[in-house]
Amino acid sequence: MTKIRKGFFRYDNVGMLFVLPAFIYMISFVGYPIIYNFILSLQNVTVKNLRTGQHEFVTFKNYIDLFTHDDVLVRSIVNTLVFTVACLIFQFLIGFALALFFNREFWLSRPVRGLMMIPWMIPITISGLIFKFMFSNDVGIINFFLKTLGIVKDNIEWLTNPKTAMPAVIMTNIWIGIPFNMILLAAGLTTIPSELYESASIDGASKVQRLFRITLPLLRPTIESVLILGFIYTFKVYDLVYVMTTGGPVNATQLLSTYSYKLSFDMFKYSQGAAVANILFIVLFLVSLLYLRFIDTEIET
Amino acid sequence: MSAKIMASRRKDIIYSVIAVLLLLIMLFPLYWIFVTSLKLEKEIFRNPPTFWPTQLNLKSYMVQLEIGDFNMFRSFGNSLIISGGAMIISIILAVPASYGVARFNFKGKKPIVLGFLITQMLPVSVLLTPLFIIFKNMNLYNTFWSTIIADSTIGIPFSILILKNYFASIPKELEEAAYIDGLNRFTAFIRMLIPIAKQGVVVCGVFSFLYAWGDLAYGMTFIIDQRRRPITAGIFNFLGQYGTKWSYLSAFAVVTIIPVALIFIFMQKYIISGMTSGAVKG
Repeated sequence: MTKIRKGFFRYDNVGMLFVLPAFIYMISFVGYPIIYNFILSLQNVTVKNLRTGQHEFVTFKNYIDLFTHDDVLVRSIVNTLVFTVACLIFQFLIGFALALFFNREFWLSRPVRGLMMIPWMIPITISGLIFKFMFSNDVGIINFFLKTLGIVKDNIEWLTNPKTAMPAVIMTNIWIGIPFNMILLAAGLTTIPSELYESASIDGASKVQRLFRITLPLLRPTIESVLILGFIYTFKVYDLVYVMTTGGPVNATQLLSTYSYKLSFDMFKYSQGAAVANILFIVLFLVSLLYLRFIDTEIET
Repeated sequence: MSAKIMASRRKDIIYSVIAVLLLLIMLFPLYWIFVTSLKLEKEIFRNPPTFWPTQLNLKSYMVQLEIGDFNMFRSFGNSLIISGGAMIISIILAVPASYGVARFNFKGKKPIVLGFLITQMLPVSVLLTPLFIIFKNMNLYNTFWSTIIADSTIGIPFSILILKNYFASIPKELEEAAYIDGLNRFTAFIRMLIPIAKQGVVVCGVFSFLYAWGDLAYGMTFIIDQRRRPITAGIFNFLGQYGTKWSYLSAFAVVTIIPVALIFIFMQKYIISGMTSGAVKG
């Protein structure tokens, strides 16, 4: 009956009033800053002229400078990609194996699976701190284990050697990412009807065949969304690397996120920091659109 | 028959043992930092390392009660204020917004929902520099507000997307019954719908709190005064100054984990539901 009302106060527009406060808040503190960040990246704002308000437009000079003056930006892009891909592969494979294991019905499957989530909940600063301790050169427990097992003879300088720093932060991030992959894949596994497996085993299908013919095809939508989300979350990792290495040694673990921070808040080149953040943003924005298109078709089918 | 039961019981035990072993490997880092926090500095550097302190030492915790250059308990309190503030703002804004999105078809709804979805995927880096300058101009720099506001921008979109599903699942007839009873749209929303969606509100509260509790970038960038910084930023500071003081650092780590552990123990059900629904359905 309220639907007859015309004009702005018709039924559906009342809903807008409920959304409006959150909308205005998010436009002010997220929407506007994104646009401001873009403008900033085209200006020449440093600590010297921050307060004066006289900011010169330099168009794409910041971007060109970043690409041509030294190779730190290019290294950061390569590092970010290496970091993301390596984390994705391992956390997915381990998470998937664990999801398959805990999907079986046994006495402790549910409680233990719940406790496996803990690493994902720990504040990243603390995870970084813990692994920084474990990877440290002389007191590090990881070097102790490796020596005890006879895998290495001398201590590895994990975080201070440019060659091993990246593997160390990747391993740490995998530890954080495993629970996320495991729980989403486990949730996906429960949607596969068990009759499918029963009839397959009557038909004489082996375990491997069942995995490749039933589990993987039916789990495809979940796998795709786990990988896309994993990409988004890993590509923007900041705190972990900043705590463990601050992007060093000699930029060996410099990511787009840490480089942007360094430019803005260690070197006070705000416009250059904004430019690097903008590159990171554009990549994530494109992947997010991919994800949105993907869940849109999921909802329709 | 009984052989079959025996076999399945044996399978039960074997799988459970494997599960516990996997769990021990996965949680070893947390055990290790806890044990380290109870050791004397001297014992931490012992080789081979001890897996339980030979001499229990609570000094790493106690020393923080005295005024030092870094007071862990004050930072802990700061973190509580910031995370609590971010949680309250997120809930107050997200609860009505999610109801509006779930129940009404107003113009521009789809782009708004997509906008909320995309902000969830935003890197902190893209907001750090512009917000830093904006907060400086608004004179919010170096106050709790700066970090509360920045942290709440993570909690709000997440909460809206989660709660949207809760409100959508409440049957419309229930709402209509409320109108017959003389409630209007707003009173029905407050007195009837919010209590029904309570579980969803708890999930959102927990996550908004945890996001803010784990934040380092915002707290470290927008608050420069050590006495107002959240505990994560305080730890980062300490790490820079006394990098190898692992007895203190491990105590800080344990204290920071405590609220997370408590939330996990009492609200595990909510957390897992939040994780799966938030990520799969978007």
